[in-house]
Amino acid sequence: MELTLIDILLGILKIFSFVMPVLISVALLVYLERKVLGAVQLRRGPNVVGPFGILQSFADVIKLITKENILPSNSNKFLFIFAPMLTLLLSLIAWAVIPISSKYVIADINIGILYLFAVSSFGVYGVIIAGWASNSKYPFLGALRSAAQMISYEVSIGFVIITVLLCVGSLNLTDIVESQKNVWFVLPLFPMFIVFIISCLAETNRLPFDLPEDEATLVAGFFTEYSSISFGLFFLAEYANMILMSSLTVILFLGGWYPPIDLFPFNAIPGLVWFSLKVFLILFVFLWVRATFPRYRYDQLMRLGWKIFLPLTLIWVILTSAFLYYFEMLPQ
Amino acid sequence: MFVVGTFYFFAIFLIFSSLSVIFSKNPVNSVLFLVLTFLNSTFLFILIGAEFVGIILAIVYIGAVAILFLFVVMMLDIQLIDIVFSVKKYIPLAVLFALVIISEIIYLTVVKVVKGNILLEPSSINNTEAIGDVLYTKFFIDFQLSGIVLLLAMIGAIVLTHIYKPSIKRQNISHQNSVTASERVSLHNPKNGEGIDA
Repeated sequence: MELTLIDILLGILKIFSFVMPVLISVALLVYLERKVLGAVQLRRGPNVVGPFGILQSFADVIKLITKENILPSNSNKFLFIFAPMLTLLLSLIAWAVIPISSKYVIADINIGILYLFAVSSFGVYGVIIAGWASNSKYPFLGALRSAAQMISYEVSIGFVIITVLLCVGSLNLTDIVESQKNVWFVLPLFPMFIVFIISCLAETNRLPFDLPEDEATLVAGFFTEYSSISFGLFFLAEYANMILMSSLTVILFLGGWYPPIDLFPFNAIPGLVWFSLKVFLILFVFLWVRATFPRYRYDQLMRLGWKIFLPLTLIWVILTSAFLYYFEMLPQ
Repeated sequence: MFVVGTFYFFAIFLIFSSLSVIFSKNPVNSVLFLVLTFLNSTFLFILIGAEFVGIILAIVYIGAVAILFLFVVMMLDIQLIDIVFSVKKYIPLAVLFALVIISEIIYLTVVKVVKGNILLEPSSINNTEAIGDVLYTKFFIDFQLSGIVLLLAMIGAIVLTHIYKPSIKRQNISHQNSVTASERVSLHNPKNGEGIDA
């Protein structure tokens, strides 16, 4: 197999066709978040820039880009700049394996789910490097919290993924979606679905688990020292990660691009629309949780991760595999 | 051509980053170079078509082990560590390890040529399934033994770090949850100019 120049150019175009929609939906998600929070708290939310305030996030981005980027004098300069770049990079390269419809995916690799798991577990490096390189107390505490938190919740995410894989028999994301043609995994594996959503909140450092940036005790956590576009990159990465984890939830539990019922008015709608609608639903849950729940205390967070989720998911792995083995439903 | 070029790129980068692990003065940089080393070896595994082994290496070593290293190293006081220590002290140990590893490689490649029954034919079966087929059947004992080794290490770590002292105050969650509002909050209506004697 020889790579030609055209292949490479096509590849780059394909990558742009994923990255640009992700970045634009990040901007819209930030707008949506402010609108949802406003609605929950009986406010109006952004309503000045553009129609219904929809251009507010673009205005914010322009503001962030034009501001001065301040480097703290005793920081490790290279790592300080590298950390936000790494965080955004990791939240974008994960999209390479996400199948948003039956044909449309950049890399349909054998081990797609492991790739996603690996990339999401690297995410902690951006936070911990940022916290250390700032050479300041609050960011460092935020980074330490984040490292412990993300590792703890990755364990239960791993077990949830194993449970789904037991039912599918393949590590390929397209296969995972296709095996949900008849019944979505959210029905037989409902407790795992709940555990997964909660772990996603912890993995993306969203409320009620946003202890790494806990503004009540740590100023702004790991990005206290960041300003202008380097702060903007962290911000972008956080929301890109939210969309990514929502897509992963949709792929693992909500049947990807399949319509809820395989009947005429539903299956005429293209898979891409169904996928986006489901991702939107999960994202709304993220925002809804943010508006509803108070922040966890740190020991409560750790207790939830290690003493409740870990045993629960472990038992479900054993139960599922025993069930599948006993009824001879293990995929071949 | 493309694959060969990529191989040399990653291989040279791998050697460079593993040397930097040893020669960086700042221990945090050492750990970050170690992460880079793991990442490059992941790429090399993927290049030879062993994508499962490669990505597991990334998940386990970069996603968990190296983060804990970084976690510990960051909490050390850098000024203390920066003192250049004598490398000579560790040379005999390093030579011993190097000899063991080299003799293992020679044993595996020259003396005991890997038999064809372990290597599966490159058929329709992908290498995740190929590993799954032999791991729990042919290498069952080895797999269980390595599991026991890890379990022992884990119990050892817990025993070493878990200290029970009566002076350490711990929170009892069930106790906290069973508390009612009347045990914690009492309402008073103090007269003007007088306080409350609790």
